[in-house]
Amino acid sequence: MKTLSVRGGYNVAVAGRPGSDVEVLPEPAVLYLPLCTRRFAFTELRVNDGQRVRPGDAIAVDPKNYGVPLLAPRAGTVRLNAASGHAVIEDPEPAADYARDPGPDEPRPEQGSGESCEKQRQLLALGAWQYFTDARTSRLPDPFATPQAIIVSTIQLEPFVSRGDVQLRDRLAEFVRGLKHIQSLLEHQPIHVVLPRVKSRLALDLRERLAGFPHVNIVSVPLRYPFDNPRLLARHLKLRPNPDQPVWAVNAAGVLAVDRSLTRQLPCIERLISLGGPGVREPRHLKAIPGYPIDMILAGRLNDGTVRVLNGGGLTGNALPPEQLGLDVECAGLTVLPEQAEREFLAFMRRGFDRLSYSKAFMSCVLPIALLHHTGLRGEPRPCVACGYCEEVCPAGIMPHLIHKYLYRDGLEEAEAARVDLCIGCGLCSFVCPSKIELCRQMLEAQQRIARELHAEEANP
Amino acid sequence: MRKLLDAMQRFRPHFEEGGRLRPLKPVYDAAEGFFFAPLAVTADAPHLRDALDLKRFMAMVVVGLLPCVAAAVHFFGLRVLAMILVSYAVGGTIEVLFAIVRKDEINEGFLVTGLIFPLTLPPGLPLWMVGVGIAIGLVLGKELFGGTGRNPFNPALVGRCFLAIGYPAAMAGSWLKPGTGTLGRLVQYVDSSVVDAASSATPLAAAKHGAFASLADLFWGNVAGSAGETSAIAVIVGGVILVVTRVASWRTVAGVLASFALLNAALHRLDPAAFAPVVWNLCAGGLLFGAFFMATDPVTSPATNCGKWAYGIIIGAVTLLIRSLTGYVEGVMFAILLGNIAAPLLDEVAVRIRLRRLRDEI
Repeated sequence: MKTLSVRGGYNVAVAGRPGSDVEVLPEPAVLYLPLCTRRFAFTELRVNDGQRVRPGDAIAVDPKNYGVPLLAPRAGTVRLNAASGHAVIEDPEPAADYARDPGPDEPRPEQGSGESCEKQRQLLALGAWQYFTDARTSRLPDPFATPQAIIVSTIQLEPFVSRGDVQLRDRLAEFVRGLKHIQSLLEHQPIHVVLPRVKSRLALDLRERLAGFPHVNIVSVPLRYPFDNPRLLARHLKLRPNPDQPVWAVNAAGVLAVDRSLTRQLPCIERLISLGGPGVREPRHLKAIPGYPIDMILAGRLNDGTVRVLNGGGLTGNALPPEQLGLDVECAGLTVLPEQAEREFLAFMRRGFDRLSYSKAFMSCVLPIALLHHTGLRGEPRPCVACGYCEEVCPAGIMPHLIHKYLYRDGLEEAEAARVDLCIGCGLCSFVCPSKIELCRQMLEAQQRIARELHAEEANP
Repeated sequence: MRKLLDAMQRFRPHFEEGGRLRPLKPVYDAAEGFFFAPLAVTADAPHLRDALDLKRFMAMVVVGLLPCVAAAVHFFGLRVLAMILVSYAVGGTIEVLFAIVRKDEINEGFLVTGLIFPLTLPPGLPLWMVGVGIAIGLVLGKELFGGTGRNPFNPALVGRCFLAIGYPAAMAGSWLKPGTGTLGRLVQYVDSSVVDAASSATPLAAAKHGAFASLADLFWGNVAGSAGETSAIAVIVGGVILVVTRVASWRTVAGVLASFALLNAALHRLDPAAFAPVVWNLCAGGLLFGAFFMATDPVTSPATNCGKWAYGIIIGAVTLLIRSLTGYVEGVMFAILLGNIAAPLLDEVAVRIRLRRLRDEI
């Protein structure tokens, strides 16, 4: 077992942490499947308007992402023009477990053959492959490549996405079986299973069950955001970036999906998402399917007042656009924040029992009472005063304030030398900045500009 | 409070484009921003933000300074309040003028500068000198470089340095004897023209002639000296607030005090005549005030942690050497200004080392 020593990181104590009870959502009357998600664009349609589909049929595939399919979660009639950007399934029939044989038009691997290749094809077709990410680029990895290692994370630390311990409750046997399947995809490459550095029942159980596994390496990390980040873990595990030998990352839900698709040959459709945040009445985990109408999920569950719904957690999630009607296939959780409604009188003079802050400048560091969270920027943008908070919390070990100064004078090369490429976009620097500078966005934009302007020739020789 | 906001916003059109008072927009914005938190919401991830803003950050420094203000008023009378008033009035005017010319917002930094500056002055100093000092400090030390966040020197110290060099006689002749009794000078207004209030020497000056004030007096502040620096206990209480709330860097404070104490201990052994005992020397003069409130100004100190250590060590060591070996009685001001000059260089070195280490990161 290996214990990682880490620097930086910070747990943002947002109210509304979802409990571990899971609510099964009632069957919906209609499904809206978004054709665009964070990583995928399902542009190649495989069905016609009005066609009936069975659960697990591919409605569309993403040709740029190894043909990863958008699976129909339920049987029903597909409408392609009912809502723009969505495939709508009308009159979905209630779920029934159902194994399907792959159609002739499904993507076949061009290279390689043999049993493991067949397995990878199955993972792709049954919707388990989309749980995998390339640890370095966080894009979908090539299913037919050989990774140098796989990082299996059982923890999710962002406030709030569905947690690993909830995913794994009562499903340890399946998880271990899934790990065996993953191992069978590899030759001898190591699997790093990431466990929290706490004495929990789950961690102890898992340790016991994984004790005899060859090539499985248990890594324990502190429960501090964002040390569940695959790229950070890969760095701490000293896995060198290599385009030919990527590092794959997969979370607990992904391992369960692998088990489902390879052991039972069933399409992976159901998702466990979290519904949390200070704008939610009863934060909890929900068992949902992609396409589930968001209105129906939120109805009756929100606090009064206008809210902003984030697709993902409070630090990296994006605001759910009003035109998105249903859950997408990548959603791990919805975080709801109240919109800032009022301008507080003499806000900076308050004692601040209700203020969430990394600094200890509010009374909440002694006695946090009903922490007040909303979407307010909480101050006016100011020049950087070099307080150093961003550097203290940065888990990647870079200096956001320095990079900000370089970028302020358009020093793209200097920013590159300051290793802006190590930024994982966790958002903590923007969170803590008292001058309200958009550090995280600036660094992510700088990464793109560096790739575009300084390394354009390397990418397209 | 809704009514106040409505009343204020009724005047807003005058300050907008085309309004009669357009040039004064920074003043209006500052007033509205002072009373009411901005309405701005996050547009990008992360959608959650820390409640700390620069107003609170600077307000914490003001809170940290309050014990010093209280001690100053107690020992040196209401005149200290008059000095603070003059400093704020002149400083605020300059900040507003520059904001109008630059068409920029008024920054909160002057709330701190305007309060720190009079606390570093002899309490009997003529009020016009206070005004001149803060004006010079803000203009030369800060505004010419672009305002808060871009100034290389601590503006309060630039102002004090100007006064110390430009008006040495007034600076040396404006010490007051601290008030005695429970009330001190709480209800008195005295300046150095009152004969029985004027004091000829601060403890550090007296120590040059072998007369050491008692440690208890230094600790409580019952000695002559700059308005805010005499009471060690008040400085420590305020300073600890700053360090604990993470507004001031503990590294800088530790660097200053540790280097001063260690060097002093070593040199005191070698030459007890030139170097005062460690604890006495720590409590005397402006060292504690400088270490907690002036050296820790984040803008003018290095941004890197290693840089902060080196910066603190430079300040501590230079203070001791100036104090003990030169004709100057006190060395904190010059030491910190020297540290400010060195800060970018220290940062450069620390950043280079850091980047070299980062270069091979994967």
